[in-house]
Amino acid sequence: MRNVKIALAVSLGMTAVAIGLVLSESPVTVLASKSVATNEVVTVNKRSATACQADERLPRGTLAIRLSLGAFTGPRVSVAALSGTRVVTLGERGSGWAGQTVTVPVRAVADAVSPVKICFALTLAGDEPVPLYGSLTGPATAARSGKGEALKGRMAIEYLGAGRSSWLALASSVARRMGLGRAWSGTWVALLVLMLMLADTTLASRLILRELDGDG
Amino acid sequence: MAMGKRWTRPDPWTALRRIPAAACFCALVAFLNAASWSFITPPFQVPDEPDHFAYVKQLAETGTLPTSSDEEYSPEEILVLKALRYPELRLHPANRAISSRAEQSELEEDLRVVSEFPKEGSPDAGVATSQPPLYYALESIPYTLGSGGTLLDRLQLMRLLSALMGGVTALFTFLFLREALPRARWAWTVGALGVALSPLFGFMSGAVNPDAMLFTVSAALFYCLARAFRRGLTTRSAIATGLVIAVGFLTKLNFVGLAPGAFVAISILTVRGARSSGRSALIAPAIAAAIGCAPVVVFVARNILSNRPTFGIVAGAIRTTHGSVLDEANYIWQLYLPRLPGTVNDFPGLSTARQIWFVGYVGRFGWLDTFFPNWVYTVALVVAGLIAGLCARAIVAGRTALRGRVSELAVYALMMLGLLVLVGIASYREFPATEAPYGQARYLLPMLPLLGAVLALAARGAGRRWGPTAGVLIVVLFLAHDLFSQLQVIARYYG
Repeated sequence: MRNVKIALAVSLGMTAVAIGLVLSESPVTVLASKSVATNEVVTVNKRSATACQADERLPRGTLAIRLSLGAFTGPRVSVAALSGTRVVTLGERGSGWAGQTVTVPVRAVADAVSPVKICFALTLAGDEPVPLYGSLTGPATAARSGKGEALKGRMAIEYLGAGRSSWLALASSVARRMGLGRAWSGTWVALLVLMLMLADTTLASRLILRELDGDG
Repeated sequence: MAMGKRWTRPDPWTALRRIPAAACFCALVAFLNAASWSFITPPFQVPDEPDHFAYVKQLAETGTLPTSSDEEYSPEEILVLKALRYPELRLHPANRAISSRAEQSELEEDLRVVSEFPKEGSPDAGVATSQPPLYYALESIPYTLGSGGTLLDRLQLMRLLSALMGGVTALFTFLFLREALPRARWAWTVGALGVALSPLFGFMSGAVNPDAMLFTVSAALFYCLARAFRRGLTTRSAIATGLVIAVGFLTKLNFVGLAPGAFVAISILTVRGARSSGRSALIAPAIAAAIGCAPVVVFVARNILSNRPTFGIVAGAIRTTHGSVLDEANYIWQLYLPRLPGTVNDFPGLSTARQIWFVGYVGRFGWLDTFFPNWVYTVALVVAGLIAGLCARAIVAGRTALRGRVSELAVYALMMLGLLVLVGIASYREFPATEAPYGQARYLLPMLPLLGAVLALAARGAGRRWGPTAGVLIVVLFLAHDLFSQLQVIARYYG
């Protein structure tokens, strides 16, 4: 049937265009961080909690803020950056994340602001503790809980934004990295992956045309 | 065909020649996809892969099973994990895999040094220790074949064996669809290709993990049962079904969740056969049950003789460790469905069906630390809703035919229920310290043949005229999902 051929051509074309668009974008990179180590547990949240950390610098172009919180089934996290009482940006990440960091997308920041206070709130899903990683400091520079009590230290915060180069421009360095740290090293690993997926696409397309075209 | 049909010697070549070419192509697509994933995912950045590797190492090098569930791996594995920056990479999506020549040189030097270490196995295999040995025994073949190379060579060869199993899973999914939906020839390809191109399936089948083989065994079981429900249980198919059940028990403990459904199916087929052919029809089901139960009988006998708990670790998994049975049932319910009125909320602020299972299926890769942006899951939910709607339309249209297959459908539902409950029980043991430790969509992938059926029905649900077009769109949707998932993982580790 003609419909099958058209649907296949159009949908594969749209996929190719979508991949092209994604690759023409820049990867999210770390715009700034205060080089706070993440080897200490600053506090463990066992109930819905809020905390703030002062003396932060919010870079221009910030699109997301990465906090060093750990969880297996992470709770909802809200983040706000405050300059005095003015909210510079804010965002929220839904529950269900996992890992030892959580990235919270925020409203794009047009201009750098310093100093800012980064506040976050957790809505814990249950009794699963959520440790906050950072480095130990004195109470004067430490992050503070919602009640104003000093925590054991400062948490690690990173500010993320769009990088300068597109994925396409970075393709060769990504391909080089893909060839490291594995059984048979070399840039050819990236080419092999590309060939495998092209073969897969071709096989699947031919099979669709064979089995679906003219039947049904 | 009558039950208890006289035994004739099977000819494997004739059986292989009967497999449709389309099924073989679906298998090839699944294998290539899993192989691609095996080259994309950095070594050991798949849940529990270091543990499973340690199990194979112990079995291949010493011929014995691991004895401890600690994670004190062999010095060889520890050194390579360190050189790969495994602790810095795992659960830290901000960190990248090794990226400099200096790091690569250090890794190569470490690989050279560890290749001279004595081959003494790894008695500690973490969470893998409690698993049955069949998958690991098979993986010891590529491990041994690669023993002249580095540890990473062996790991890659083992991953490729898992990928091969992924191909066989797609093959059995196709054959299952052929038996379960016999009138929709073109839709078999849609369902099997959808499964073959599922990113989570490709990711897990491109790794060293017994899940890869469990998917294969469960797909084979679905095929055997569908065939038996359609054509009756012959002696030959009873032997095949029994063997598949036995292999399942020897592959991964999670198979315990599927087994009750399989035995209920055999019981139903026995009753059916007895009605039509009398007592002679009891032979085939008895053969299936005897072969299927054999590993369990041997396991229980060994435990009794060695003064261990009769059902070993399985008994421990079923026993409630805290709270009442009702509390546990409530937890298991809420692990998948919205809570019932008047019950304690074990997951406040969390929609488990969406945020654990759906998000997990659409995309949580690596050590569950690699996600898509949030909007992707919202779009995926809309698309999944459309597919479910089309599937429902096909079911409504074919409801008359379905009425005659209620018992078969009940068996599939029971297999699914068994698996869900098993995962729920395991999770509850660690609750509330961890909300849902086994809330990982990969544990539901033994149900992949049913996903294939949903996709095939969805294509048919679009109607006679637009069905094949809908089928094309579904397959390309899964292909695109797979490609973007691979890009997401590449960006996370190598970006």
